[in-house]
Amino acid sequence: MIEARALAYDYSGEEEPSSPALSGINLDVHRGEYLALIGPNGSGKTTLLKLLNALLTPSNGEVRVEGISTVDEERTPQIHRICGMIFQNPDNQLVATTVEEDIAFGLENLALPSAEIRQRVADVARLLGLDHLLQKPPHLLSGGEKQRVAIAGVLAMQPGCILMDEPTAMLDPAGRHDVIETVRMLNRNQDIAVVHVTHFPEEAAYADRVIVLDQGRLVRQGPPAEVLNDLQLLHSLGLQGTAAIELAALLREDGFILPPQLLHCRELVNSLCSLERKS
Amino acid sequence: MFIGTEKLTHTYMPGTPFAAEALKEVSFSISQGEFSLVIGPSGSGKSTLIQHLNGLLRPTSGRVFFEGKVIGFDKGELLRLRRRIGLVFQMPEEQFFSETVYDEVAFAPRNLGLDESNVRAGVKDALEKVGLNAEHIQSRHPFQLSAGQKRLVALAAVLSLQPEVLILDEPTAGLDPAGRRNLFNLLDKLNSTAGLTVLICTHHLDEAAALADNVLVLHDGKLVLAGPAEEIFARRDQLCDLGLTLPAVTEIMHGLAEKELPVRTNIYTLDGARKEINKLKGRREK
Repeated sequence: MIEARALAYDYSGEEEPSSPALSGINLDVHRGEYLALIGPNGSGKTTLLKLLNALLTPSNGEVRVEGISTVDEERTPQIHRICGMIFQNPDNQLVATTVEEDIAFGLENLALPSAEIRQRVADVARLLGLDHLLQKPPHLLSGGEKQRVAIAGVLAMQPGCILMDEPTAMLDPAGRHDVIETVRMLNRNQDIAVVHVTHFPEEAAYADRVIVLDQGRLVRQGPPAEVLNDLQLLHSLGLQGTAAIELAALLREDGFILPPQLLHCRELVNSLCSLERKS
Repeated sequence: MFIGTEKLTHTYMPGTPFAAEALKEVSFSISQGEFSLVIGPSGSGKSTLIQHLNGLLRPTSGRVFFEGKVIGFDKGELLRLRRRIGLVFQMPEEQFFSETVYDEVAFAPRNLGLDESNVRAGVKDALEKVGLNAEHIQSRHPFQLSAGQKRLVALAAVLSLQPEVLILDEPTAGLDPAGRRNLFNLLDKLNSTAGLTVLICTHHLDEAAALADNVLVLHDGKLVLAGPAEEIFARRDQLCDLGLTLPAVTEIMHGLAEKELPVRTNIYTLDGARKEINKLKGRREK
C-alpha cells in the first residue's frame, strides 16, 4: 500500500552541512500491517513518517501511496486521505471547539453532504468510545482522550493507513494503554495499516514488523521477537529490548535455560515457573 | 519541613463559570536532600502542585513552605525563592529563544546582573554538571542539537543559578531510552553527590522508581497516597485502580509471586530482579 524506493532526504538550508536525514530507504507497508519504527532521537523516524504521507517530498528516490507518487501535488489530498497522521502532542492537532466538530473537520473539507458527515462522526465516535464526549471542548479532555479524538478524526476519513509519531509520549499509563488498544483494535478489525514511531519497546513488541533506523538508514527489520532480541544492535544504538527481554538476557548469562525469542513479561514468568517446576 | 504544603487548594478561574478546583487541601512535606516523585494520571494536579513550590502560582487557600517558613510573594522574596528552587517545565526546549547554547544558559545569571566573567564561569559549570562539553557546544544553535542534548541544555539553564532544589515536570517525555537513562542517572548524581533536593513529576516509573525516596500520588486534585517509595509501590492494587502502573520489572516479580515462587516483589531494577531470581537457583541447589 506504501512503497518507498531508494528514499533520501536532506534538510537543506542548514548552516552546517550535516549528514542527510535519510538515505537509501527501501520500505513497503502492506495492507493491514502493523509496523513499529524505532531508533535513537535524530535517527530520521519523524522525517520518514512525514515522507510517507507527502508532508515532505523526497530529495531522491520515490514514495508511492496506493501507486500515487508523493511528488504529484495535485493528488496530495488523496494521499492525506489514505494516510492519516497522529502527532506526539495532541494539543497541536485539535482545532475545533467541540469534539464532534473536530472529528468532522477533515470530512467538511471534503465537502461531503452533512448527513454523511454526521453518520461517519457518529460511527467512529461509537467505535472509539467517544460518544459521551462529542459535545465537550477538546481542551477539557484527558491526554488519552485527546489522542483518541485525533485518531477518530483520521478514522472518519476512512484511511488505509495511520501514521503515528510517538503518540503516547505525553500520556499517562492509562492514556497510553487506551491509545495502544484503540490502534490495535483498528488494525485487527478494520484492516488498517499502522506505522508507529515509538521509544517504548513494550509498544513495538505488539507490531507485526519492527524497523530500526540509525543515522538516516534502515539498519534492521523483522518480527519483534527477532529484532527486539538483538540486544547487541539495540544497545549499540542506545536502545533497549522489553523488560522481559533484558532480564532474560541477564538470566541466561547466569545459566537459566530460557526460550530464545521471548518478548512479553508473561512469557518470561511462565518460562521461569516451568523451570522451577521441573526441578 | 524543608519543602511542603499545608491544606493547599488551587482553583483556576475562581468565581467564573469555568472555575476548576485543581488542588484540594494538599498537605505534604519532604526533607532536604530527598528524591521524590509526584505521580498521578493526567489532570490530577501534578503540574499545578509543583508550580506552587517556587511561587509561580499562588494558593487559593492554604500555605506553601520552604525551609520551614511560609513563602511570601513580595518581589525580593520571590526572586530569592526562584534562585534557590529551579523549575524545569515539560518539553523545556520548546521555550528556547537564544541564538546560541551559551546565551540560553547565560540568560538567568545575566538577569541577576552578574558580570560577564561570572556569567561565563556559571555557564561552563552548569554545562559540565549536565555532562556537556562547554567548549564544543556553547557556540552552537540550540536547534542544531539532538533531543537529548536540548533537554540537557534546558536543565543547565536552570542549574546556572545553582539552585538547591530541582523540580522537573516530565523530564524524559519524548526522549529515547538512552536519553531517558542518561537524564535519570544525572538527576541521581545531582541528588546523591551534589546534595540537591529533587522532585519529579513523571509517568515513567520504569526508570524513576528505583531512585525515589518518597512518592506522592495525586488523583483528581487530592493527595491520595504519600510516603516512602517502598510503602507506596507495595500498594499495587490501589495504584492500579488509580490508572497507574508499576515498572515492568516489578510486574514480572509480581507475576512470579502470584505463581507462588518465593520472590520479593519490591524490586524496580533489572539487576535487582536478576539477583532475586538467582536466589531461586541457589535455593534449588541446596
